[in-house]
Amino acid sequence: MLLRVENIHKSYGAAEILKGVSFDMAPGQSKVIMGPSGTGKSTLLRCINHLTPPDKGRIFVDGEELTAKNLNTMRQKVAFVFQDFNLFTHLRTVENVAIGPRKLRGFGKKAALDLAYKELERVGLSDRADAYPAELSGGQQQRASIARALAMEPKLILFDEPTSALDPELTGEVVSVMNKLASEGMTMLVVSHEIGFARKAADEIIFMEGGKIIEQGPPSQIFNAPQQDRTRAFLNVIEHGDDA
Amino acid sequence: MIFETLLSQMPYLVHGLTVAIGLLVCLLSLGLALGLVLAILEVYGHWTLRLVCVLFERVFRGIPAIVLLLLFYYGVTDYIEMGSFTAAVLALGLRSAAYQSQIFRGAFLSVPNGQMMAARAMGMNKLQAIRDIIIPQALRMSIGPWTNEFSSELKATSLAYVIGVVELTRQAKYIISNTQGNILVVFGVVALMYFVVNRAGNWALYRLENRLSLPGFEHRGDA
Repeated sequence: MLLRVENIHKSYGAAEILKGVSFDMAPGQSKVIMGPSGTGKSTLLRCINHLTPPDKGRIFVDGEELTAKNLNTMRQKVAFVFQDFNLFTHLRTVENVAIGPRKLRGFGKKAALDLAYKELERVGLSDRADAYPAELSGGQQQRASIARALAMEPKLILFDEPTSALDPELTGEVVSVMNKLASEGMTMLVVSHEIGFARKAADEIIFMEGGKIIEQGPPSQIFNAPQQDRTRAFLNVIEHGDDA
Repeated sequence: MIFETLLSQMPYLVHGLTVAIGLLVCLLSLGLALGLVLAILEVYGHWTLRLVCVLFERVFRGIPAIVLLLLFYYGVTDYIEMGSFTAAVLALGLRSAAYQSQIFRGAFLSVPNGQMMAARAMGMNKLQAIRDIIIPQALRMSIGPWTNEFSSELKATSLAYVIGVVELTRQAKYIISNTQGNILVVFGVVALMYFVVNRAGNWALYRLENRLSLPGFEHRGDA
């Protein structure tokens, strides 16, 4: 297994956000986590790379357990794509992508930039390499942040609602980059309500509610024949809107 | 007559000005280095370190510059030997560090959280993230408020007069004593010298701020 999530618990004060979540991912798999807001999806994602350390439970990447000691090396294998991009505002797009290889992977300046240009091409942003993040559209910023993740050559990429901060017209360009990555065999764990990506690229949908996984399975099963009433009701809302 | 005096005494004034600028550069450098460290510890440090920094900053911001100068020159030199110039650099430099730490602290806090989070998420340790991501952004935002610090410290160098640093103001006093009079003209020239250096420094810092400003983060637009 590339990723093993074992019995993750997390509380904020008295509120228990995650109540024991476990699942596995094989290399090359894409999974999408869905569920109502406040259910702990993003918290779970942050627990996986210890941006939010879990209270209880264990995370294994490539068979190695994530601990406080190996945190920084393990995070290089598990890239994270944020909802609000968080590109480094003082660096040009290409430098944003190059900084990881340069500072963390021992690349020389030239080699890091070469790799960065290559990754920008992969997300279709070669022509914006010299722009600063503030000069990019939301969709371009998110694609740049995906290129930044790719430049670490991670084993796994975590996507935390990658299209939620984007206009509907801009989500398409990000989703198509994600579809492409999935088809190239990148292992991806995505918190998103983006049905398009979930149907087309996901191997499995994980449906969460109240800090627990209540149903999981291939998209065909989850979307066409959900076992749980709760899943059915939720999917109804996101597919047809509130008044469906 | 008065212009002849002024002309013949000009080398002393120029020398005094170079001492003042030397003092300014030393104290601002000390203040910059220490102020940056204090700010980093205040924002990102363990609470014990934070406490020490806050204490330092409160003390040095809470005592008049002239009292600090006297304390360092007459107080500390009893135990550690140092000249009046060194004492002035320490007294004014440590005080400047306290003020500068507050400039940098504000700048650090105004860098959005997501920047640190993104740096940590890619595997940078805290120190790398501060050095490569936070500081370059925070320093850019500090230049504006820092021009204030430059101006007040330039003027504060004249206080080193009281512990016998022969800087611009003290040279003026010597000239007035030696030539019996000319108070208004000599101090007028000295005032002009401070003023010109002040404007030149502010102009250079303003240029620097513009040159380093990032698209989307301009502080002062043309509008």
